[in-house]
Amino acid sequence: MQYKSIEKKEWDKALERLLSSHTIYANVSNDFGQDYELIEQTDIPRITYNKPKPATSLKNIFLPVKENVTTDKAGSKSRIIIGAPNCDIEGLSILDEIYLDKDFTDTFYKKKRENTLLISSDCFGIQEHCHCLSYNIKPYSVSKGDLAIINLNGKIIFRVITEKGEDFLEAIPEAVACNDNSIHDAIEKEQHSTEALLTEANKGLPDYEKTGKIVAGANKDIWEKYSAQCVSCGACAAICPTCTCFLLIDKPGFEKVKQLDACQYPGFERVAGGEDALFELHNRFRNRYMCKYVWKPEKFNSIACTGCGRCIEACIGKINKNELFMELS
Amino acid sequence: MGHNNNIYKPLRAKLTEVINESPLIKTFVLIPEEEFSFKTGQFIELSLDGIGEAPFTPSSSPLITDRLEVTVMKTGYVTEIMHNLEPGAFMGIRGPYGRGYPVEKFFGKEVLILGGGCGLAPIRSLLYALEHISDNLKKVTLCYGSKTPSDCIYKPLFNRLNSIKKFEAYRTVDQPDEEWNESVGVATKLLDKVTVDIKNSVVVICGPPIMMKFGTIRILEMGYADEQIYLSMEKNMSCGLGKCGHCMMGEYFVCKDGPVFTYSELKNTPDIWK
Repeated sequence: MQYKSIEKKEWDKALERLLSSHTIYANVSNDFGQDYELIEQTDIPRITYNKPKPATSLKNIFLPVKENVTTDKAGSKSRIIIGAPNCDIEGLSILDEIYLDKDFTDTFYKKKRENTLLISSDCFGIQEHCHCLSYNIKPYSVSKGDLAIINLNGKIIFRVITEKGEDFLEAIPEAVACNDNSIHDAIEKEQHSTEALLTEANKGLPDYEKTGKIVAGANKDIWEKYSAQCVSCGACAAICPTCTCFLLIDKPGFEKVKQLDACQYPGFERVAGGEDALFELHNRFRNRYMCKYVWKPEKFNSIACTGCGRCIEACIGKINKNELFMELS
Repeated sequence: MGHNNNIYKPLRAKLTEVINESPLIKTFVLIPEEEFSFKTGQFIELSLDGIGEAPFTPSSSPLITDRLEVTVMKTGYVTEIMHNLEPGAFMGIRGPYGRGYPVEKFFGKEVLILGGGCGLAPIRSLLYALEHISDNLKKVTLCYGSKTPSDCIYKPLFNRLNSIKKFEAYRTVDQPDEEWNESVGVATKLLDKVTVDIKNSVVVICGPPIMMKFGTIRILEMGYADEQIYLSMEKNMSCGLGKCGHCMMGEYFVCKDGPVFTYSELKNTPDIWK
């Protein structure tokens, strides 16, 4: 694995320069914790490194909540995303399968993917509901995204993953090869310690495949029990890195606006004649689990739940999917 | 496909004629601004400028590419406004989408078709396609049911079908009037009077969910195998592209994997009749 490093203060200066030619989104600390934000020069000190995790997922930077998909008003400025945890990076894989599908390519999504440089961030430490490792997703990226970033002892270290990432660093002369084994060892130590924390925190939680079997075999009583606190707000789907269902809204001039939707909302599957396969709350509730752990795995190669735990954090009914899985496993 | 390489953008089509088929059903004759072809059983997204969009399977022949007919039942917000349209208006078309009827697999066989209500729209398109390849078919039998005689659509179609060699067409209504001299009862009752070579035939079922359900049960009772039965599924197909999720039925996107499925593909999927 190739590593490069740059002094932190030089990196901050490089970001200042990059802001003139790029749109930069970064994982920044804010009054509520941390989240992805479109940054300006004054935001650079707020960028957080190696701390899990942004409140919302990466998907909305590629699939805006609301987007006119018939008139192309998107700017052509290149974009950089800094500080995405690996769960979010993995979450993009199924979005790619859906939106870059060769039969029907979403050119709006494609353009955003192509003009974005993705810098992931190794997670050092975990949050209460993090369980990526249970689904075989490491808390750091070695194969996806263009670069991975580590902030260590006043230095920014980059793990180079793609040629695009390598070219990006070539243009920053202050970034030099990092062959210092003590730094590599320090990174590895942090990675192992995070993995140990994840393993400890999620003892007994079934893996992705086993979860699929549990969900497929669960009976109506379970869905009724766990959906009793559900108010169909759709927060779980809105915050999920892999839930991307949408509605097309018609505007004059045969224009279409694509708006994020959720199977948790009543009427999601209702047809004009009034039939609605997801009329009952427990059926809608079950639908999301079946989709993530049973149906999507049959249809796609990428994982449909990254174990980020945001749906648990976002639920106003305090529904914890992992408690459901533990009860049944 | 969408227009100009944009999967979401509709192609404009001019409405040239509106045919009243029944009190609730009209056929819209459209001339797309560009050539438009589809395979029978595939569907399109038909939109009203700035109002809404809904999925329909064209009812016209797949062999015609400069004109398209779409038969629409007034049943919701968009279709109600559609029914007020007059010739000269412009509509939007996206598609064609999905997997239609695999007519090439029907070669050398009998085709038994069970239809109900507005489900005759996709079936009419299929009948045109089957007429075109009738030399390669053994027989085509249509059993069609509607609520009342005035709900029967495509009235001239039945006489014409009965005059074509190898074609037979039967109709039934739930509630006859004084002039009705054909069968009375639900569509599946017509199956009692047809003769079919079950081993060498396929069945196509298209209609309202309740008819699809009981039609399939009756067809299975007759001895047909699951893979001989083709069902045209109706779901809330919104994007038509296998992305928006509204038409998911188990692991299937009805818009992309369907809308035509064999019963063997669906029999383990829950809630298919809803």
